[in-house]
Amino acid sequence: MEKKYYRSLEELTINPDQIQDHEMLGDKKSLLALEQEAKKNNEPNRRDFLKLFGFTVASAAVVASCEQPVRKAIPYLIQPEEIVPGKASYYASTFFDGTDYCSILVKVRDGRPIKIEGNKLSAITGGGTSARAQASVLNLYDNYRYTKPLVQGEEASWSEMDRQITDKLEAISAKGGKIVMLTPTIISPSTKAVIAAFSEKYPTTSHIQYDNVSASGIRKANEISFGEAFVPSYHFDKAKLIVSFDADFLGTWLSPVEFTRQYISNRKLHEGKTTMSRHIHLEGGMSLTGSNADKRIALKPSQQKAAIAQLYLALIQQSSQNGPVAEMPAIANELLDAKGTSLVVCNSNDHETQLIVNAINQLLGNYENTTNTQVHLKVRQGNDQVMAKLIDELNAGLVDGIILYDVNPVYDYPESDKVISGLQKASLKISMPVLREETSSYVDFVCPDHHFLESWNDFEVKTGHYTFAQPAIRPIFNTRSAQESLLKWAGKEKDFRLFIQEYWEKNLFPASGYLSFTAFWNEKIHDGIYDSGIIDPKPLVYIDTDIEGLVGKASVLTASDIDLDLYYNISVGNGKHANNPWLQELPDPITKICWDNYAAVSQKLADEYGLKDEDLITINQTGPYPVIIQPGQEHHTVSLALGYGREKSGKSSEGIGVNAYPLVKMEDGSRHLQTAGVVINKVAGNYRLARTQTHHSMEGREIVRDTTLQEYLVKPNSGNEVREEIKKHLKSIYPKKTYDGFHWGMAIDLNSCIGCNACIVACSAENNVPVVGKEQVLMAREMHWIRIDRYYKGDPDNPELIRQPVMCQHCDNAPCENVCPVAATTHSNEGINQMAYNRCIGTRYCNNNCPYKVRRFNFFDYTNADSFQGNLYDPAEMTVDLRKLVLNPDVTTRAKGVIEKCSFCIQRIQDTKLTAKIENRELVDGEVVTACAQACPSQAIVFGNLNDTESRVAKMFADERNYHVLEELHVLPSVGYLTKVKNTNV
Amino acid sequence: MMIRFLSQLGSLNRVVLYFIFLGAILSGLTSQAQTPEAEKNFQVCKACHNIDGPKLIGPSLAGVTERRTTEWLIKFIRNSQEVIQSGDPIAVQLFEENNKIPMPANPLTDEQILDILAYINNGGKVAAEFAQAAPTDEQLTQKQTMLDEMAAQQAERETRLQDLERDANRNFGTTFILTLIILIVVIFDLLVTRVIKARFVHTVLILVSLFIIGEIMYKEAAMLGRQQYYQPDQPVWFSHKVHAEQNKIDCKYCHTSVEKSKSAGIPGTHVCMNCHNVVKSGKITGTEEIAKVTQSWETGTPIEWIRIHNLPDHVYFNHAQHVNAGKLDCKECHGDVQKMDVVMQVNDLSMGWCLECHRKTEVQFASNSFYKTYEKLHEQFKNGEIKRVTADMVGGDNCMKCHY
Repeated sequence: MEKKYYRSLEELTINPDQIQDHEMLGDKKSLLALEQEAKKNNEPNRRDFLKLFGFTVASAAVVASCEQPVRKAIPYLIQPEEIVPGKASYYASTFFDGTDYCSILVKVRDGRPIKIEGNKLSAITGGGTSARAQASVLNLYDNYRYTKPLVQGEEASWSEMDRQITDKLEAISAKGGKIVMLTPTIISPSTKAVIAAFSEKYPTTSHIQYDNVSASGIRKANEISFGEAFVPSYHFDKAKLIVSFDADFLGTWLSPVEFTRQYISNRKLHEGKTTMSRHIHLEGGMSLTGSNADKRIALKPSQQKAAIAQLYLALIQQSSQNGPVAEMPAIANELLDAKGTSLVVCNSNDHETQLIVNAINQLLGNYENTTNTQVHLKVRQGNDQVMAKLIDELNAGLVDGIILYDVNPVYDYPESDKVISGLQKASLKISMPVLREETSSYVDFVCPDHHFLESWNDFEVKTGHYTFAQPAIRPIFNTRSAQESLLKWAGKEKDFRLFIQEYWEKNLFPASGYLSFTAFWNEKIHDGIYDSGIIDPKPLVYIDTDIEGLVGKASVLTASDIDLDLYYNISVGNGKHANNPWLQELPDPITKICWDNYAAVSQKLADEYGLKDEDLITINQTGPYPVIIQPGQEHHTVSLALGYGREKSGKSSEGIGVNAYPLVKMEDGSRHLQTAGVVINKVAGNYRLARTQTHHSMEGREIVRDTTLQEYLVKPNSGNEVREEIKKHLKSIYPKKTYDGFHWGMAIDLNSCIGCNACIVACSAENNVPVVGKEQVLMAREMHWIRIDRYYKGDPDNPELIRQPVMCQHCDNAPCENVCPVAATTHSNEGINQMAYNRCIGTRYCNNNCPYKVRRFNFFDYTNADSFQGNLYDPAEMTVDLRKLVLNPDVTTRAKGVIEKCSFCIQRIQDTKLTAKIENRELVDGEVVTACAQACPSQAIVFGNLNDTESRVAKMFADERNYHVLEELHVLPSVGYLTKVKNTNV
Repeated sequence: MMIRFLSQLGSLNRVVLYFIFLGAILSGLTSQAQTPEAEKNFQVCKACHNIDGPKLIGPSLAGVTERRTTEWLIKFIRNSQEVIQSGDPIAVQLFEENNKIPMPANPLTDEQILDILAYINNGGKVAAEFAQAAPTDEQLTQKQTMLDEMAAQQAERETRLQDLERDANRNFGTTFILTLIILIVVIFDLLVTRVIKARFVHTVLILVSLFIIGEIMYKEAAMLGRQQYYQPDQPVWFSHKVHAEQNKIDCKYCHTSVEKSKSAGIPGTHVCMNCHNVVKSGKITGTEEIAKVTQSWETGTPIEWIRIHNLPDHVYFNHAQHVNAGKLDCKECHGDVQKMDVVMQVNDLSMGWCLECHRKTEVQFASNSFYKTYEKLHEQFKNGEIKRVTADMVGGDNCMKCHY
């Protein structure tokens, strides 16, 4: 019997004859019928002739009409000496967005910044970056930025605006009215001097620093413990034992890039090291830091204080059995063993909790060992109570003029209504924003500030440690540096650069030991860094407080209440950079979800409320929020990220997620991210969340390998034993490839990778990786060339988590290469699996044959690289002219229908090789750095030449922990991984 | 326009080329090859100064070390404007005498400047120990004859090839249309008029014409996006012949970044104005064309040149790699630009052309330390297994050497 294929059920049931009838139009014959008739007669007719004729004419026309467009080459009128067209220059600068700090280099090509790299000279961040620092260059080209000064929403000239503002300020000042300058934490000494100059002119001015990511609790506790409100500097590198109560110090807490670097320096095991720190983490939701801990204990946020009190009691050898954490006596013993080399940190904004933490650190002798009170971390200088008082004063009509510099309280203050109503009572409202934001729609004067890449600035992030920002591009829009605006209103017509210079010459140069200020200034601006080495002469003295009383107060709340645990995630953070497509598309390191925030619940709670992934819940009647079930979530804790649900910020952030700031608890004027006793309700409907990793099983193959420190010390290849077995069976009919000169390879230390995602953004920026938007991610079409897979291990209620960055493995026996019908992907003589985009015809055979699934296909024209306009698919507006300025001109933008993948940053390899050739010397190990390796704050990625046995990468390949993923396939990858080692027990 | 003109002058052209090549070879021989740094650095000076001979933009330099102190010279060469502004009487007088044309600053070390001064004192010759041993007269004549012959042959071959290619190009269109007409007529006859009774005539004619059409289409399609012999009119009638050939200005005087960057760089108007502050009239164009440059300077609008050598966006090409690391001469790709009044793209810049050169051009294998990394090649080179190392042997034919 003949087989029958069909496309649909209709097709199956309808008789073919009927179809023919159906296609007949009246009594006219269908086209098909006419054609069949003609075929039957088997004679050429007029139609055939026309077909042939048409074809030839059309082809002739095509050949004749392909003329080249005339391209122009327009030189400079006067070429600036420092600019060489086609060659990148690097300028040292600083990324500080009011919360996070990073010392950076800005790569500038032909006058436009295109990439951020870490500044290796920095003693603080040491060349590491964060995802947000990497992505900040895209904010410069945000097409929603304020382009000109606005008065009551209408365009105005700067001079007109200055006149109006000065008049009003003088009027307020004359009648003794109050002026408030509201800023985020200012760590710039010169900006503080500008504000002082402004206050001098208008004496009724008060400067208030408002942190939407607050460390008020720590400051207040230190004020009690040491007599001074400050944030100390921490030394995670000196700590052998770290106990963290929900402080996400690798992700978002205080100075994550610095802490990551310190933390990892004490956890690397290759290069002959046999010790590593131990990290115990107690938290409600699963955070980036918690997922890296050696021991993670699920702890309800509302029981945190009780747990810390329990630890305190355990440390002073009192009964500590009654407390929320059963393991606490053991932890206390470990801490006592590590006296002076331990560190206890806590994220709480409750100063009483922080006081107990201080007492614990004092008890353990950690001050001046792992916590330094002489050198202060200057981030987070805000005081929540002062801000709360300001909002009350605004509403009481006590404030006449308010200047909002780089703050957005309408969006991120929990009581947004009070901010709006308060603002309306002030007679003069000025905002100085960089990116489009909500608060500016409630002010009279919008004086747009430069982006930090367009402006001069200086920073003192730690006592005595200074960095600079210098313009890497001329201001794109009609903006003016906020400091210059303030100086202007203060009646001091001055360029801010000159102001900084004068400030430095007067205040910092004399103690520098340099003979000439110009030499001092030029050198420091070049490096971007000045370490004065001047610190407070003596450490602050710990003042005993009534800890016992506090401990007694810390009671355990009802266990079955539901806690809300708000957090900042590593991509959009506090929401300031939300309109950044690179950050929005960055998958969360735990849940792998992008383009949304969501309520993470435990499996048990989900069962109790009948919840599934992507169901909707309300929290205290707000929301609804989509739900995901998160392994490791504390039973009664619901976690929700802040920073989403922007309203006036641009297309990539408006309406993405829900704003959770209204859920921040205000208690005595303090912001608390944790709230006990919230009410959750399931509501009808569901909401799709875009995840980049939906499959979590390794299917019985040892893709990630781990071991414990104790086993490792006995047997260096523990956890990796299977490799020996695999190696025995490897046979190939192909001769083994050898490479003369270079054989590029990459070694990734799973022990060092913390999952911060900086590499993903760096890769996107370096290689023009497109943003595809939520809809495409839902269809598993994200384009990232590097992804960080995460696997859970063990108890689903509190699993271990192992991460693995995966990019093209550049196999020497690459399975993708021999299935390409057009030889678009081939092997280079340096061991790189190459991809020629213009040869690719998009069969996707290679994609299908790649065991690592690292090849990406352009389903649409995401970059506007096609000649055909209709193919463009650009949900995040990445192809508007302004945003396109961020593209790396050395890397092709790929058109629709081609495969792309990691190239080992071939453009960087080639560029470095050329430099060596011109300088007539051999390449040095470590000179070629891929974008991902450059960005990595923990130096988990090492790139180099495998042929050079002395190179770092070759040494790591020779380490017994080294293995290749799916080595049993004998594809011979050029990427090696080092087994993850956990320090499980002392 | 220019193409037709040149091909009409084909035979004359050949003779001219012969002489030009002869001249080039002769002048090459007298300068005695091996070039130390001073000679290279002097290229910049050469644009405005003669050593012996008439005054160009600036004064002749013969005996300059006797006229001025070394200290003064070092200061002046490094930054003349600074010296003038400091009110130095000699400097001011020189500046006045030379029509107030500023001499550009030269970021050179003391040693480099002293080196150049020694080079000038030596009459524009490199020191004896660097120069090759002077060949005997007999050898010289022999070598010269050989080189003359080679140059002549080369010139002839090139001209003939170019002529042929140009003719072939022009004839494509006519052949294509003729064949197309034949095809249409044959098909029409086959289907409608049926004059020719023998069917095989139709078959043969159709097959032959289809083959020709196919061949032409293939060739033309391969040429799509290429611009060989492209010679557009530029906004300013600028002659490389006048500047590079007659006035002997080094290519790098204007195309400054050719050794540093992927882009050779098109000079800004300020570079033109270094000389055209004074030179206001040209031999060929009079004042008209130079006035455009002055106007650009005065109005502050850069000149919008038309780009001749274009590569597709997916090709990465780096001038520094080829000129600095590879030690290629500009004309290997750009042709004899110094012979062109209006610049024309000589090569088709196709991938085949690039690869062909990569397969036959040697890299600086022995002289550049970078290549020490290629241990196996070095071994083979030493053993005599290979005679030379071409670009493709170190990966010059890999896709991702040019396509990132």
